[in-house]
Amino acid sequence: MSEAAAAHESHATRKTYVGIFIALAVLTGLEIALVKTPGIGKDSMVAGLIFLAVTKAALVGLYFMHLKWETKVMKWMVAVPLATPALYAVVLIADAMWRRT
Amino acid sequence: MSAPAAAAAESLHPAHGDHGHHGPIAWPVDEQFGKATPGKIAMWIFLLSDAFSFSGLLLGYGLLRGGSTQWHHPGEPELGINFTAGLTFLLICSSVSMVMAYSAAVEGNRKKTAQWLFLTILGGVGFLCGQMHEYFGFLPFLGGGPHGLVGEGLVFGHSDYANTFYVTTTFHGCHVTAGVIYLSVILINTLRGKYDHNPAPIELVGLFWHFVDLVWILVFTLIYLIP
Repeated sequence: MSEAAAAHESHATRKTYVGIFIALAVLTGLEIALVKTPGIGKDSMVAGLIFLAVTKAALVGLYFMHLKWETKVMKWMVAVPLATPALYAVVLIADAMWRRT
Repeated sequence: MSAPAAAAAESLHPAHGDHGHHGPIAWPVDEQFGKATPGKIAMWIFLLSDAFSFSGLLLGYGLLRGGSTQWHHPGEPELGINFTAGLTFLLICSSVSMVMAYSAAVEGNRKKTAQWLFLTILGGVGFLCGQMHEYFGFLPFLGGGPHGLVGEGLVFGHSDYANTFYVTTTFHGCHVTAGVIYLSVILINTLRGKYDHNPAPIELVGLFWHFVDLVWILVFTLIYLIP
C-alpha cells in the first residue's frame, strides 16, 4: 500500500462516505418536509431550515473535504473566515428588518 | 542544503529514473498543517476567497429581502422547490461519486477512478441542464412550464427578487461549469495514467467540487426554501 493509501485509510472509508450520503439525503428530505408541513410558524421554519443547511454543509466540509482529519490550524483557518460572513449576516439582516418596522 | 532538507527534497523529487511506485505523493509533516500539501493549502485559501464572493451575494440577497416591504411582485412565479430538490440530490450524488473517485485513485485503480470521475462529470452536466431548464424550460420531459421561469415572468432587471435569484444561481452555475471543465481535464490525465502514483490532484479537484456542492446547499435553503 502506498503512503497516500495508508494516509487515506486512516481517516475515511467508503462506508463512511455512503453513511454521509444517506445522512445528506435524509436531511434534504427533512428540509422539504419542513417546508411542506402546514401550520409551522415562519420563525421556527427558518430556524429549522438554517440548522439543517448548516448541518449538511458541515457534513460535506468535515467528511467529504476531509476537514475532520486536518490539523487544528487548518480547521481554524477555514472556520473563522467562514463564520465572519454569517456574523455579518445576522447583524445586517436584523438591522435591515428593524429599519423596515 | 542541510541533510534533513536534502532528504525531504529527495522524497519529493526523486532522482531522474526513479519514477516507479514511490513518486512525489508524500509531503513532509508540517508542525502547523500536518500532511497537507502546499497545493491543498492553496486550494483552501482560494475556496475561502470564493466563499467570500458567495457570502457577498447572499448577504446582499438577505439585506434586500429583509429590507423590502414586498418581495414577490404580482406576476412573478414561485420557485419550483421539488424540481430544485432533485437538482440538489443530483449534486450530492456527484459529491459521493467524487469521493469514490478519490478512494479509487488512492488505491491506484485507474479504471475505477476514471469511471467515478465520469459519473461526477455527468452529475455536473445534469445539474447544468436542469438549471437551464428551470430558467428557459427547454427540456419539456422534465415537466414545469414550457418557457421556464423567464417565460413565466421572472425576468432579470425587473425586481430585486429576480436580480438576486439570477445573479446568485448563475454565479453558482459558472462554478459548476468550471468544475465540469476541471474534472474533464483531470479525467483525461487519469486515463493517461498521470495520477497512478500521485492522487493529490484528484483530491484538489474534489475539494473544489465539494465546495460547489456545499455552497449549493446554502443557496438552496436561503433562496428556494425560506418562505
